[in-house]
Amino acid sequence: MWKRLLLIRGAELFAFGMLVAIPVFVNNSYALGLLTLLAIYGILLIGLDVSVGYLGQVNLGHAAFLGLGAYASGLCVTLLGFGMPAALGVSLLVGLVIGALLALPALRLEGPQFALATLSFSALTVTTLNEWESLTGGAQGLQLDRPALLGVHLGAAGFYWLCMILLALVWMLMRNLLSSHWGRAFEALRDSPIATDAMGVGTYRFKVAAFAIGSALGSFAGGLYAFNFQYLQPHSFVYELMVILLLGVVLGGRKSLWGAVVGAALIVLLPNLLSNRMLFQVFSALGLLLAVVAGVRGMMNKSTRPFQAIAPIVAMGSLVVGGMLVANTEDWRKAIFALMLFSVVVGLPEGLMGFITRFLSQLFSVAPPPLPAPAALDEVLAARPMQDKPLLELRNLKRYFGGVKAVDDVSMAVHSGHIHGLIGPNGSGKSTAVNVISGLYAPTGGQVLLHGKALPEGSLYQVARVGIARTFQNLQLFGELSALDNVMVALKGVYRCPLPLLLLGFARREEKRAQAQSLALLELVGLAQQARSKAKDLTYGAQRFLEIARALACKPDLLILDEPAAGLAQPDVAQLIAIIKRIHQRGITIILIEHHMDVVSELCDRVTVLDGGKVIAEGSAEEVKRHPLVIQAYLGVEHTE
Amino acid sequence: MSVIVQLVVSGALMGMVYALIAYGFQLTYSTSKSINFGQGELVMLSAFVSLSLINTGLPYWLVVPGGLLFGVLLGLFVERAAVRLALEQKGEGWILLTVIFGLLGFSAAENIWGRDDRPFPTPVPSDPMHFFGIGITPLEISVAIGVLAVMGMVELFKRKTLLGKAFEAVSADRDAAGLMGVSATRIIMLSYGLSGLVAAMAGILVAPITTVGPTMASALILKAFSVAVVAGLDSGFGVVVVGLFLGALESLASFYIGSGWREAPGLILLIMALALRPNGVFGKASIRKV
Amino acid sequence: MKNTLLASLLCIAATQVYAGDTLKIAITGPFSGGSAPMGTSMRDGAKLAIAEINAAGGVSVGKTKMKIEVVERDDEGKNDRGALIAQELASMDDLSGVIGTVNTGVVLAGDKHLQEKGITRIITPAAGSASMTQWVNKADKPGAKDLSIFRFAAHDGIQAAMVVEDAIKRKFTKVALLHDSTNYGVSGRDDLLDQIKKQGDKLEVVATEKFNIGDKDMTAQLLSAKAKGAQAILIWGIGPELAAVANGMAKNGLKVPLIGGWTLSMSNFIDNAGSNGNGTLMPQTFIEEPITPRVKSFIESYHKAYGVTRIPSPVSAAQGYDAVLIFAAAVTQAQSTDTHKIKDALEDLKAPVKGVIATWKQPFSKWDPANVQTHEAFRREQAVMGMVSDGRVVFADSADRARLVKSMK
Repeated sequence: MWKRLLLIRGAELFAFGMLVAIPVFVNNSYALGLLTLLAIYGILLIGLDVSVGYLGQVNLGHAAFLGLGAYASGLCVTLLGFGMPAALGVSLLVGLVIGALLALPALRLEGPQFALATLSFSALTVTTLNEWESLTGGAQGLQLDRPALLGVHLGAAGFYWLCMILLALVWMLMRNLLSSHWGRAFEALRDSPIATDAMGVGTYRFKVAAFAIGSALGSFAGGLYAFNFQYLQPHSFVYELMVILLLGVVLGGRKSLWGAVVGAALIVLLPNLLSNRMLFQVFSALGLLLAVVAGVRGMMNKSTRPFQAIAPIVAMGSLVVGGMLVANTEDWRKAIFALMLFSVVVGLPEGLMGFITRFLSQLFSVAPPPLPAPAALDEVLAARPMQDKPLLELRNLKRYFGGVKAVDDVSMAVHSGHIHGLIGPNGSGKSTAVNVISGLYAPTGGQVLLHGKALPEGSLYQVARVGIARTFQNLQLFGELSALDNVMVALKGVYRCPLPLLLLGFARREEKRAQAQSLALLELVGLAQQARSKAKDLTYGAQRFLEIARALACKPDLLILDEPAAGLAQPDVAQLIAIIKRIHQRGITIILIEHHMDVVSELCDRVTVLDGGKVIAEGSAEEVKRHPLVIQAYLGVEHTE
Repeated sequence: MSVIVQLVVSGALMGMVYALIAYGFQLTYSTSKSINFGQGELVMLSAFVSLSLINTGLPYWLVVPGGLLFGVLLGLFVERAAVRLALEQKGEGWILLTVIFGLLGFSAAENIWGRDDRPFPTPVPSDPMHFFGIGITPLEISVAIGVLAVMGMVELFKRKTLLGKAFEAVSADRDAAGLMGVSATRIIMLSYGLSGLVAAMAGILVAPITTVGPTMASALILKAFSVAVVAGLDSGFGVVVVGLFLGALESLASFYIGSGWREAPGLILLIMALALRPNGVFGKASIRKV
Repeated sequence: MKNTLLASLLCIAATQVYAGDTLKIAITGPFSGGSAPMGTSMRDGAKLAIAEINAAGGVSVGKTKMKIEVVERDDEGKNDRGALIAQELASMDDLSGVIGTVNTGVVLAGDKHLQEKGITRIITPAAGSASMTQWVNKADKPGAKDLSIFRFAAHDGIQAAMVVEDAIKRKFTKVALLHDSTNYGVSGRDDLLDQIKKQGDKLEVVATEKFNIGDKDMTAQLLSAKAKGAQAILIWGIGPELAAVANGMAKNGLKVPLIGGWTLSMSNFIDNAGSNGNGTLMPQTFIEEPITPRVKSFIESYHKAYGVTRIPSPVSAAQGYDAVLIFAAAVTQAQSTDTHKIKDALEDLKAPVKGVIATWKQPFSKWDPANVQTHEAFRREQAVMGMVSDGRVVFADSADRARLVKSMK
């Protein structure tokens, strides 16, 4: 525990101390200029990492936020005579508000569409900054003087220290945020927005928040950028810069504060240092050496593909050879930069920090912080009284897809405390019915009532909020998160700490409580031992059970299990039955969609059978099994007896 | 009135070029869900190589296949060096690697062919003809015809040949096609080769208008990307409609709103179109399934 | 394997060790990207002068001769990179001076760091007025008392004056302004508007339109000019887009003269506009025409040294060349490689310098924050109007040719 803290915090403090101490020993305006830019880009990339690393989206709008922040601070100083703190505050706010506004239309988009939306935004921003000459000075640029900080005029070293302190501050706040349920929600969004919604976490809120926070950091860095260069032009903030920033985040390593700062160092230092021919040759020779060693090692223990081993060697080798042949390396600087980046991206797919972290963790085997003892199950899932009255009612529910009547006039009631089976052949409308209840689809007609009140329509999130949780037939786990984190994302009723306090690190206690409660749920499904494994690394059966534990973390009144036994081996099926029984004992009502008739017969109090979108039978498991229409539906032949 | 028509015609011709480059994006996206962000450099490098071929004294009808062949080879190189590994790792590494490829290509072009823009000779005359007061050059007409011809030929290939059908199968469902014995890796290679061919064709077609220089495609490529996404990355000829529309809109906005704001209406419409139809105006809407 | 590596590393290190007696000059500019034709021409022109000086033994400093050593930095036309390069150069103790750069924004972002250390800096070929006017007295603050920044280019003020003059001389009354959306284009537009006012408002500006770098379709801008009856187009931009304008004018039947900044002489305009460029007028400080043996030899050695048949931007190349000669003359006069002493010598250059643009007699004088001309080398007389004619720039007025030849004497 202490060793870990010492190593991690120690490394942070050491790096910070070293960087801060440099101007005391080295009086070189160039070094100072580079380091200042490094600190500013550090903040910028930490912001970009929120959308690129945590949300997993290609964000091409970050350079525009840098520009907006820079101009906001610049104009505050030149037009309004603001001091430095006020101007930086305005920059932060501008990024936050515009980021939130941009997130609204960009919300529904993913992948290339999201990239394009943000790209268009940045083009629009640059056009506006360029055309609004009366305010921004347009293409001729905006010259400003660095204002005083609380009455003190900062020199180059003073400003550098300010940037470093702000970087450290941002680092601490973001560490608190990203290690809290906010950070987990951001990551969950990346892996499965549908499941995030279905767990009542709300993609909307978190996506907007994540994007706005990242953008706010971008424009905050913009404010510092303005005070650093003291001259702004719209064309500094175009697509080209964006590409470099993106490279920085990925090269440094995603989802890592260290990665962002290392990435910043790479993109700030490398292009500038490459101008020096000697440094370039030393770099390329070292790079070749590294590529050869890593490549040969990788090939020997077969951990890398041949391409991954050979390509960096070829790239670095051509740099070394080219460096000797070409008369003027300055002319080839971009190509040199590209080849170096190529080697890093191919050779180290998890980025520089990912590689270093793995290397260091082999060097110092550090135990992760211990987990608390699981909470009592009563604290997590209070036992509910059994009342034999309808909890959920469907009244003439319809859902059509074009001409296909997937659910056609279905009425049924699920009683409180029951396990209600929903069966039917493939294509009978079970899944559609469940998707309508859980809010994935809006109904074409009819009503769904919970506790006698109409259920929100067509919103997974709203439905989850009123007490319905579900699992998915095709697993929708948050693959990159640990099993424990999967449950913690969905956990309800624990996270109360207001955001400002959380940023300052006052959420440790509720974090422990959340861990304890989530462990209790993992224990319930028999996964307590695998709490730290990544969800995607679990066995198929364990993944199914994890989905159940996660759904329970919503503390639902009604749990919908969508074919939980599908694809399970026989021992797992037995365990599944045991788990469902345990959940049932807590008084939670369950809708079970299942093909395995033995599971259904063993568990269900009541069974509804669908075929062709209509209810064809309802009753106890034994009753429906003998129902002629059911037999006909399953066997597809006329039942004659 | 003739002013409006002239504006629309001129803008739409640029739009055709956007459409052709956008079509190159579609080809690779449909098979591999990846895009070559260095496509602009592919256009530029192919144009430079064609120019060098012309300078050696080859006749134009030999230069075109030469340039196209180079484009195909370059496309295959991008696939091998920048895309395949990332796709095997199921990551988004291809974005960065193709960007890096672009940087490399740009720098190489600057050093090999120089930093200057140069004219690209063509047998098609560029003296304008006038129809009802509308000026249009035979060169521009040849661009429009060339764009449609290339797209038509690739579409024919996809629909009429066995290989083309395998291509369509991989686009529709990679896993299922794999089960049927179609090698997705091969088809992805093919798609990058075709995409390189389309890019080279775009380079040869526009070079006489845009001139050949290292930066010749950097403005075009962002527009083409917009057209591809707004039309829908699986929209086929949809890119032509959107390309024409965007080109004409830019031209009109430039005249009526102010030339500094040329791109603004297009950008706003683009964000709105995406918000309303995330899969593109001509894209297939997908039902969320779980 | 490792041995050879080590050996080669040592070799490289060895070449980095220079003789102590060198004069270190930095050349900065965009050597890649859109402005690179100007940046590389300037650099190559300057390096040609340096090679000639070095071949002749070096610069005379006192009794010794010093070879010139060059530090090259590519600013890519990006401001932040320009600022970092300036910081890097400012932190080099043995640097005698800096020559170069094209983009006015880069100058504005970087020069304050050089000025802080008092490093002698000759701006060429950036022509934007703000590069120098940022140091003069303004209403709200006094200008720099002692300035180490010089300019060796016909600034936009001179050029705009000539363009407007020419338009008036040709009896035009209605003109359209076209410019690119960069710093260069916008500041050129402002200079033109300013000059139209100064020269008695004889021109009516019927349309002001802009275009972006990379735009190829100028139809909308040109139709707007045509619809409003412009008799001439005054233009401020760089090569490829200027060519697109000339070609667009032909396509849209706009048969009026194109008059603009010196960039209309860049080969990427002339070549790409082809016959559509004929008759285009621009102020020039140097025309790639062997008017004297000196100029002829410069053009020939440039072509030979860089394996080209035309200089991408002759004006940049000639200015880079002459800037080095002037700088070397200042070093000789100062008898020192100390950048401050070189600055003092530049402000009072005794011996005339025979360049390829002119024979420079006292190009600069003691800096006066009230008068930017003290650090501007070019006057109206050094510039002439050039005209594009069948792929070359020729003197628009043959009287100018004779005048220039005379000034070279």
